[in-house]
Amino acid sequence: MKLTKDQLIKLYTLMVRTRELDGLIINALKTGKAIGFFHSGLGEEAVSIGGCTFTLKDDDYLYPHHRGHAIGFFLARGLSPKSFVAYHLGKVPQDVEGPTPVERGIFGVSGTIGGSFVLSVGMAITAKKNGKGQVTACFFGDGAANRGTLHEAMNLASVWNLPIAWICENNLYAQFMPFKDAFAREDIADIAASYNMPGVVVDGQDVLAVHEAVQAAVARARAGDGPSLVECKTYRYRGHSEGGPDIAHYEPRPTEEVEAWKKRDPIVLFREALLKQGTLTKADIKKIDKETETEIEALEQYADECPRPQPEDPSVLDRLLYAE
Amino acid sequence: MKQTIYLMAIREALDEEMERDEKVFIIGENVQQGTFGTTSTLVQKFGPERVMDTPLAETAVAGAAVGAAMAGFRPVADMMFADFMYIAGDEIMIKAAKWHFLHGGKVSVPLVLMAAMGGGMKIGAEHSMCPESIIMHTAGLKLAIPSTPYDAKGLLKTAIRDNNPVVFFYHKGLLGVPGEIPEEEYLVPFGQADVKREGSDVTVVATSRMVHLSLAVAEELKDKVSVEVIDPRTLEPLDIDTIIASVKKTGRVVVADEDNRRCGVTSEIGMQIMEKGFDYLDAPVQRVAAADLPIASGFMEEHILPQPKDIVAAIEAVAT
Repeated sequence: MKLTKDQLIKLYTLMVRTRELDGLIINALKTGKAIGFFHSGLGEEAVSIGGCTFTLKDDDYLYPHHRGHAIGFFLARGLSPKSFVAYHLGKVPQDVEGPTPVERGIFGVSGTIGGSFVLSVGMAITAKKNGKGQVTACFFGDGAANRGTLHEAMNLASVWNLPIAWICENNLYAQFMPFKDAFAREDIADIAASYNMPGVVVDGQDVLAVHEAVQAAVARARAGDGPSLVECKTYRYRGHSEGGPDIAHYEPRPTEEVEAWKKRDPIVLFREALLKQGTLTKADIKKIDKETETEIEALEQYADECPRPQPEDPSVLDRLLYAE
Repeated sequence: MKQTIYLMAIREALDEEMERDEKVFIIGENVQQGTFGTTSTLVQKFGPERVMDTPLAETAVAGAAVGAAMAGFRPVADMMFADFMYIAGDEIMIKAAKWHFLHGGKVSVPLVLMAAMGGGMKIGAEHSMCPESIIMHTAGLKLAIPSTPYDAKGLLKTAIRDNNPVVFFYHKGLLGVPGEIPEEEYLVPFGQADVKREGSDVTVVATSRMVHLSLAVAEELKDKVSVEVIDPRTLEPLDIDTIIASVKKTGRVVVADEDNRRCGVTSEIGMQIMEKGFDYLDAPVQRVAAADLPIASGFMEEHILPQPKDIVAAIEAVAT
């Protein structure tokens, strides 16, 4: 499917918004407003936006991976960023309109890396039983590719011909562990052959390349032809988590490596391509930037105004343990 | 009422619930044949799409059940041996147990993790465990451990209809135990202990196979001491009220379970009795449990697992 002008602009806008929302949380941590962990996904925006925006249907299942705490995936699925921002600032979101993550087939990001592989199999089993052509898109990082769960899940998905698209966001680091020292092959996509499914490597900085490869994998799954694997080569600009060191093993990551990747920034690359082909003008870009800035300011204010959870009623936690 | 055995009662529960609700399916290793007979013949009736044989992949079995449950189905994952549930710790104790809570109640995980536990078959440390305490310890998992055919069928049906993850441990040493079940449909509710034998001198709180050993011991000692045997039937939720009411009557209590002694089920139940029934106690609570050792195989097993003589000794210790 060739994307229309409006769709191209949407992809670009979503990437910009993903980056700025990620930046919002980083800044909020710096000013002491945000609480807890944050694993920035700066530099990797092309994978979630290219992979999810025009590839999935509303009732498909999606496992995002944890970088950027899945903000790109949420935006691509048409979810309001209000909850995302409020939760990171320790607030209770109010009056959030639009679909919930569950309504868009997102049942949570696994805190234990690699947990989503086998859960995806369960989703895909139900998709097959439902018989409505639903697909499960399971995104994961290069670190997760080392988990044994991947073998169990990919093998079973292939044996049972399940409708799953496995999409690896290979950013070359798993916490402080460089990919080259963690994986026996150069490409994770190579393992697809072991499970009798197609495996392709794409430029994870190129949003359209990601879109095309994921779309092909999703189409294959939807047609009943089983799973496939897409590996997107990308890079993270920040350290593993905010406030922690940015290192490879125990030394700072090589500056030249970081700089080389930043020269191929996914947003800059796409912007230049869109300018060159005349899809966007410089004025359009300014407008998108301005609108995003306004959105970020409004979201910050929104989160500031949302209430904190009420500590005088901790029994709410007891009531959450079990479903009725 | 009709006569049946423990494993047939389990199979009947699965059969009836699969018949009743097409969202129910069984997934596990060799469930079409059925290692313990509990799932046998169901594939002939419901087909391989609902009785799904998997490769040897416990993590995938449990994980697929969690995923399918969140997507609106009601899977029964047969983990075969309870020991094997350790392999799928993330899927069982983190995903199944916590994801309803972690998602603010917006996601439910209605699944049953079924497994055969316990010793008696002399098959060693990795096929004989009773890992009840680790399940009972994990917030978010319910735990049913039936001792009779009646309880097995009624509890499993309740488990399948529950909107939460339920671990259903059946004891492989009880598979052929006979008992009566109603002809008509019935359910056994969670959190209701059953007084298996009434008595007035000593309360024995016993689980699973220990219920049968305790009943035999109670009969043996009946001329000397009147023993009440209480089977909690579910450990989460635990019906501590029925236990305390019995302790109030007898003033003396023994807790018997096949899990390890240290931090085991007996520790928890004994401590709850201390917290809620201390004033009624005329003697310290006695525990009967497996030794804090891996379960030895072959004939050495009996030196690890609790034996009837241990229950006798514990009853005599509290009764005198």
